Amino acid sequence: MQSSSSVSVSATTPTQHPFQRKVNEIKPSKSDINFVIMDYLISEGYPRAAEKFAKEANLTLPLEEDSIQSRVEIRRAIYAGDIDTAINKINDLNPQILDTDPSLHFALLRLQLIELIRTCTSSPSADITPALAFASAQLAPRAATNNDFLKDLELTMSLLIFLPTDSTLQPQFAELLEPSLRRDVAKRVNEAILTHMGARGESRLRSLVRLRVWAEQKARASGKNLPPVLPYTLQDPDDTHGIDNDTSDFMVT
Amino acid sequence: MFRRSSYASVAAGNSGQPQGSAPTRSGAFSHLANNNSSSGSYPTQATAQSSRHLSRSLDTDGYNTNMSTSWGRGGPLPSYSSHFGYLHGSGPTGQDGPLPPFFVPSYLRGSKYAERVEDAYKAKVAAQRELRSTQSSNAGSLSTSSSSVNLHKMVPSHRGLSHEIIERAPVYVDDQVTSWPTKWNEADMYPTLDVDEGGLQTKFTGPTPKSNDEAGSIRADHPMPRQGGIYYYEVTIVAKGKDGRMIGIGFTGPKVVLSRIPGWEPDSFAYHGDDGYSYSNTTSGKPFGPKFGTLDVIGCGVNFRKGTAFFTRNGHFLGEPFKDIKPNLSWYPTVGMKKNGETLRVNFGQEPFLFDIDKMVQAEKAEIQREIAAVKAPPRTEKDKSPFDETAFIHSLVSQYLAHDGYVETARAFQEEVAEESQALANEDADLSYIEVEEDVDAINRQKIRAAILEGDIDKALKHTNAYYPSVLQNNENIYFKLRCRKFIEMIRVTNDLASKRNQIIPTPPSKRSTASNGHNDEYDFEMELDEQLGVHNGSWNIGAENMNVDDDDDEDPEVHQQKLRELTSRAIAYGMELRQEFHNDPRREVKRALEDTFALIAYENAAESALAPLLDVSGRVPVAEELNSAILVSLGKNSRATLERLTQQTEALVNELAEDGGPGAFINVRRDVLT
Repeated sequence: MQSSSSVSVSATTPTQHPFQRKVNEIKPSKSDINFVIMDYLISEGYPRAAEKFAKEANLTLPLEEDSIQSRVEIRRAIYAGDIDTAINKINDLNPQILDTDPSLHFALLRLQLIELIRTCTSSPSADITPALAFASAQLAPRAATNNDFLKDLELTMSLLIFLPTDSTLQPQFAELLEPSLRRDVAKRVNEAILTHMGARGESRLRSLVRLRVWAEQKARASGKNLPPVLPYTLQDPDDTHGIDNDTSDFMVT
Repeated sequence: MFRRSSYASVAAGNSGQPQGSAPTRSGAFSHLANNNSSSGSYPTQATAQSSRHLSRSLDTDGYNTNMSTSWGRGGPLPSYSSHFGYLHGSGPTGQDGPLPPFFVPSYLRGSKYAERVEDAYKAKVAAQRELRSTQSSNAGSLSTSSSSVNLHKMVPSHRGLSHEIIERAPVYVDDQVTSWPTKWNEADMYPTLDVDEGGLQTKFTGPTPKSNDEAGSIRADHPMPRQGGIYYYEVTIVAKGKDGRMIGIGFTGPKVVLSRIPGWEPDSFAYHGDDGYSYSNTTSGKPFGPKFGTLDVIGCGVNFRKGTAFFTRNGHFLGEPFKDIKPNLSWYPTVGMKKNGETLRVNFGQEPFLFDIDKMVQAEKAEIQREIAAVKAPPRTEKDKSPFDETAFIHSLVSQYLAHDGYVETARAFQEEVAEESQALANEDADLSYIEVEEDVDAINRQKIRAAILEGDIDKALKHTNAYYPSVLQNNENIYFKLRCRKFIEMIRVTNDLASKRNQIIPTPPSKRSTASNGHNDEYDFEMELDEQLGVHNGSWNIGAENMNVDDDDDEDPEVHQQKLRELTSRAIAYGMELRQEFHNDPRREVKRALEDTFALIAYENAAESALAPLLDVSGRVPVAEELNSAILVSLGKNSRATLERLTQQTEALVNELAEDGGPGAFINVRRDVLT
């Protein structure tokens, strides 16, 4: 039944780009989208939203939901800089996760070192010994076996000299103190846990977004006939008007 | 030509009843008829007990000719056994047209391209059946049982098609998609050759030419498809010629002369058996691999993404002698021979290949996946140079989708959890300005309507829709029609559940399984109020799902159970007639078909185990719910699709662009790889 056509295409203009027409011809199924959303909520750890979504969209919660609570707690610990707790919880789940991924383990330990440095440089009187002791006991032996680890360790240790409290910190040091580093490590940990459970490590939604970015880059590079701008943002008010009417199709409603 | 009788009886005849013994009625009414009425004498008691509607439709069920006139009219009841005998004797068993058996080469399975070819094939098959059946039945009445008959035949081999017929747009017939090669093309060969074995074997039958230059070649029926990314086929040397061997295996453009061995002419590439050389566009070859002869299996493949061609021998990779395959020409698998008696057999993928081509394709896919995983998005805009924050973007995508589609509670929970996450990150000035979940009345209403449909309570959904968005159903008659059909399906579901309880303990009925947040009880008062306001309950939808709910304690008394079942059945039938009354004048073919398919359900005592089961599946509620939601959004002047959906559309369209010419997109099936 030619039913969906009447509702799927919003006001379009006669000058629609051929590619835009092709885009509109594609009819993603709602069940697929809902599945992707549920997959995201579960795999990236939003248990309450997942539960509500199961109710509202009449879906069943996937079974691998078991680990979600631990994963959320681990994420919280990493975000809070409490790496000790995080490592213990990861090992409670499955000690193999860190044993088989030295680089992930190192990343966690380095986060811990950064936290130590942060505390022990917070006041001029603070003692830097704990940071030094931790570095030589935990990180140095690992760094000895791997050049990348060594570089990371050296960079991190330099924080002691350049003092994190200094507002004129060079970018490569400032980066170490950014919350996004914790976020990245937490994401890696989450994916490692999922992979160890035999689940897909990365959420489908993340893969989709990346595929979207890659496909546009690739298509432009090979000279495909695309509109100059193919917006997929949803908040920039600048994009809502201007460009042309085709693209308003892509704005948030 | 066999003239098809009523849909119900035909359907019943195909419902997998044990054959051989006198057939028993298998329709939804059999429980009323106390079964075993194979003699054809219908128990009068049942007729007496049943409602007016029931007896009327029983007539129609049994009446085996001129359905269009017998519907709703009393008539004589034929003998069922003779009726079935007739059916079994001359039922639709014929083969369908000359379509060759369908196959997908192993390495293309799961690809978007293979899906498109398969869909096109199915559409063709369906179109053929449609044509045949419209020729054999009078259109415009319920006696066009064709589609239900087709369904039974189609469903086992083409899963899910029946489902699409009613719930989805018809398979989009893709004229642009061409199949992969399936056989040698007898119309595109040199006359000294002969083709046999369904187009797979080819033999040099003429005398061995005296001239060195002359030979005989043959091309496949279709070019090697770029959209597949990699194409591969194998040839077995069945017999060499009496005067030695001279065989070339490769590919050529469509215009290359066939009186020459491939490889010697421009636009032709091949591996030759007599010297083991590779030839491209010229008669002077280059040393490439071993010579080949009888019983050797030679494989030839093209990687369109890289523009290279490769060969295999007896399952071993030999190398890539050609690295400059032009992207703008159609390349056909081609073999050439020149000795009398030389015989080759081709495998275009009908059988497993000797060489592990699947592994090669897998490796290609993995390479592309690595590339995708490593991609870095550019900054969002010219002005804002800050790097693209994937996580924040995904958060906003999810929030916007949840709000857009009216998942109010989820949106709120998600927002809270994201906020907690940001706070945990101890980032005081974290961007919490993800789309605010407003107290959006529309979102809540839309969620209510959706929940009702997902629970199977179509009446409630109709009621709410009419109350809040009165214009939507008027302006979207097709959605209204689908809802009405769905309601009939839900009635059959309930009836079926009850009927199957008679013999066994069945799982909880759907009404108990429902997990939607808005239970009936919470809203009871509201419902009543709304009913009073609207006066809907005396309308045509007065068979509320509430009334249809099957209570477990009914089991105790078989009499009560029977009574209940009779009631439900007669209601379903009454509703079905009403539905038909309303739409039978609709000229649209898809409406007719949907009606036929829906009504066919009533023929089954246990439709859930019949070929029509997909129609009954609860998953069929989803598309109806979503379509209605989109229509409401449009009526509110909002975009019918959330950003995430449009991003998905864009992604698929972009990947399609990248697949057309055999680029990296050929190795990606968005739906299969990412969405499911």
